[in-house]
Amino acid sequence: MTRFAVCSMGFIMVDIFGSKDRAEDDAFAERIASALRMPERAHPSFEKRLMDKVRAEGATLYPEGATTQKSWWRRERVLRVSPIAGLALAAGISAIVALSTIAIGSRISLRKNATVAASPSPPAKDTVQLVRFVFVDSHASSVALVGDFNEWTKGATELKLSGAPGVWAVSVPLPAGRHEYAFIVNGKRWVADPLAVKSSDEFGTESSVIRVAPLGKSET
Amino acid sequence: MTGSSDAELIAAVLDGDIDAFGGLVRRHQDTCARFAVRMLGSRVDADDVLQSAFMRAFRGLRSCKDPDHFGGWLYQIVVNECRTYASRQRRREQRFPSAAVAVESAVAPGSEEEVDLDVGGHIERALSTLPADQREAFLLKHVEEMTYEEMAEITGVSVSALKMRVKRACDALRGLLDGVYHG
Repeated sequence: MTRFAVCSMGFIMVDIFGSKDRAEDDAFAERIASALRMPERAHPSFEKRLMDKVRAEGATLYPEGATTQKSWWRRERVLRVSPIAGLALAAGISAIVALSTIAIGSRISLRKNATVAASPSPPAKDTVQLVRFVFVDSHASSVALVGDFNEWTKGATELKLSGAPGVWAVSVPLPAGRHEYAFIVNGKRWVADPLAVKSSDEFGTESSVIRVAPLGKSET
Repeated sequence: MTGSSDAELIAAVLDGDIDAFGGLVRRHQDTCARFAVRMLGSRVDADDVLQSAFMRAFRGLRSCKDPDHFGGWLYQIVVNECRTYASRQRRREQRFPSAAVAVESAVAPGSEEEVDLDVGGHIERALSTLPADQREAFLLKHVEEMTYEEMAEITGVSVSALKMRVKRACDALRGLLDGVYHG
């Protein structure tokens, strides 16, 4: 039997399955699961098809001896940020802090010729854009960013306190295109950005969508 | 490289030995295949999903923070790929047979002999009628035999919500398979 409780923090479930119910469920589930545990073999051609694609991309992604060269994240890339847009964002944050737990996934918009990281050559086609994600929660002890750009890996992109109380931020270089993301608060709580376009999967889990326009084009 | 650990294979790939990724594929493909086939109800769909999942893993190999636990990281990608694929499929077509048809075929077998011969088929059909979140939770818990904490890590769903999904899946399967498993 399952019971729900509502409190000021929202909707939580109280686990009060009876031990008898649980034992019956486990016994029944074991009978079902034993049939489903039969091994499945990938198709004999699976590895070859996959490795053909891997080799086609591999030389670019992981050039020989790459790990003994300068790390990928230390290579020079063209990052363009607009100080004016940054100030506008900071002003917006100040207003939002009063609302307590609010997530903002905001981009600092771009401005031509405002190169922060100098590049000796014109923008290469792998140029990325710096996107700043800001999350405001005065009660959070940690905030992480997950998205398709970091394989939804919890802990891969941690936000840091930016100076203002409860304001967490991180800047992430992203290629042009559509990206989905969400915040994880205190290592557990999944929060979609309330100010961004939502994307919901079949499981009802909401994420947020950000579109990074190619350089020179307006953002969406 | 067959005796190499996952971490050693990953280091080799990052250093330009692309073929070392084949060792990771061979080591993990069958485990992932079982989950994907049961989750999607189709070996063809599972093959597509696994190709995509392994490619995502390959492209994002640098973001695997704990190479010694590559398997868990990869599993997370596979689960997400299955979710995305199932959502797309549902939008495009009614992927699985309707619940009514599946219930009928699951609880009204022609004879005891047929039941004995095709219990696995009845179970897979019943499983396919569950909502995707319940199917996923049931498979991770009872087929892949994960703890609720491991499931929470992989799915991003709370332990209490996962317990509820597993409970509901069991209740639904019990109803659907009443004619196959007595009691």
